[in-house]
Amino acid sequence: MEAPDEQLMLAYRDGNAAAFETLYARHRTRLYRFVLRSVKSRSIGEELFQEIWMRVIQARERYTPQARFTTWLYTIAHNHLVDHWRKRGLTLVSLEDDETPGASPDPADHAEARESLARFAAALEALPPLQREAFLLHEEGGLSIAEIAAATKTNEEAAKSRLRYAIAKLKAAMNDG
Amino acid sequence: MAEEHDPKLSEHYRSLEPLEPPPELDRTILAAARDASDKPHAPLVVPAGRHRWYYSLAAAAVLVFAVALTLHIERERPDPEGNVASTAPAPQLRLERELRGVIKRAPEPESQPAAKPEAFAPEPQPQAQEAKKPSEAPAAPPPAPRRAAADEVRARQDAALERAKVEAERARMQLERRTSNPDANSIQQRAAPAAAPTGGLAIAGAPENPERWLERIAELRSRGKHAEADKALAEFRRAYPDYRLSEVMRERVEGK
Repeated sequence: MEAPDEQLMLAYRDGNAAAFETLYARHRTRLYRFVLRSVKSRSIGEELFQEIWMRVIQARERYTPQARFTTWLYTIAHNHLVDHWRKRGLTLVSLEDDETPGASPDPADHAEARESLARFAAALEALPPLQREAFLLHEEGGLSIAEIAAATKTNEEAAKSRLRYAIAKLKAAMNDG
Repeated sequence: MAEEHDPKLSEHYRSLEPLEPPPELDRTILAAARDASDKPHAPLVVPAGRHRWYYSLAAAAVLVFAVALTLHIERERPDPEGNVASTAPAPQLRLERELRGVIKRAPEPESQPAAKPEAFAPEPQPQAQEAKKPSEAPAAPPPAPRRAAADEVRARQDAALERAKVEAERARMQLERRTSNPDANSIQQRAAPAAAPTGGLAIAGAPENPERWLERIAELRSRGKHAEADKALAEFRRAYPDYRLSEVMRERVEGK
């Protein structure tokens, strides 16, 4: 039976480097995809990915399993992404302001993207950051509504709405084709 | 949750370009994790092997220190029936110490006005009660056991402290009467800043509730002692920065 994430993190906190390797192997791909699909740039995404794990390493001594490790990890990721956007003078658009100018896919590109996957990718990219984040946390992190709310420091209603909006838009994009 | 999950969308999502962190990134992160875990933690674990003797040494040092301290206290203890005044500090110093001693304690919610001498004394503390017992009963138990001797010394010191407190109170009352005396003012000034954080110690040193304090300020104002009233009001403001004065009380304490 595999050791739970929380136990591995505690073992790492107590000096067991092998525990971290197991933990990293479990979460690296999903977190990587979450970050890269949040920032849309591979180089920036990789930089952020590394920094997020560095934060995990630095925070190990303060780690106490109050929630699932995944929630804790994606909370760190969310905070780091927010810091990144703030540094670049960007802010997360609110739920009401979800039609960000320039965020919608280029109609020409859209016309070219006949294949369903390309359309889906474009729709995902076109989502407002908060909605995309909620979707990615759900898909990649496997986070529940409550966990998404905890990770993004919002209430469950808001988290639920973001996820619903994201799904509705992605569905619409797929049906349009 | 059904509305928040669409298997078809999930399937599409899983079919997107598979992204994997590059191996060099993995290596960098894992190396950083190993380095961090290799760094020594604070010594929370019991040292083994040749470091075990540290504990014996520490225990011996503590023991020696405790014995030396006990002997020192025994040597320095005052004469059982002796002159307390000779070992007690000078009146002003005693007064200051006394004021500080009161400030450290929690203010009494229903303390008596400062004019009464007994009001100055803090709420009876268990230690003080213990201290009174030996002074009231001169026939102390024989100091044969070491612990009993130490208790006796402590009781005597507490009794001496109690007597010093009474003297300090007397001195304070005298100083209060002589309001024009600059020494008295300086002592009051010294006492006041320490009083502020406790949220209820008047200039005279007695813990007051805000209403009583304001009454006293209003009384000073009505007697025409405006300088004192201003000072007391400033003290009050420091102690209760968020206290809301009623219009009536504001007029009374500000004299406007």
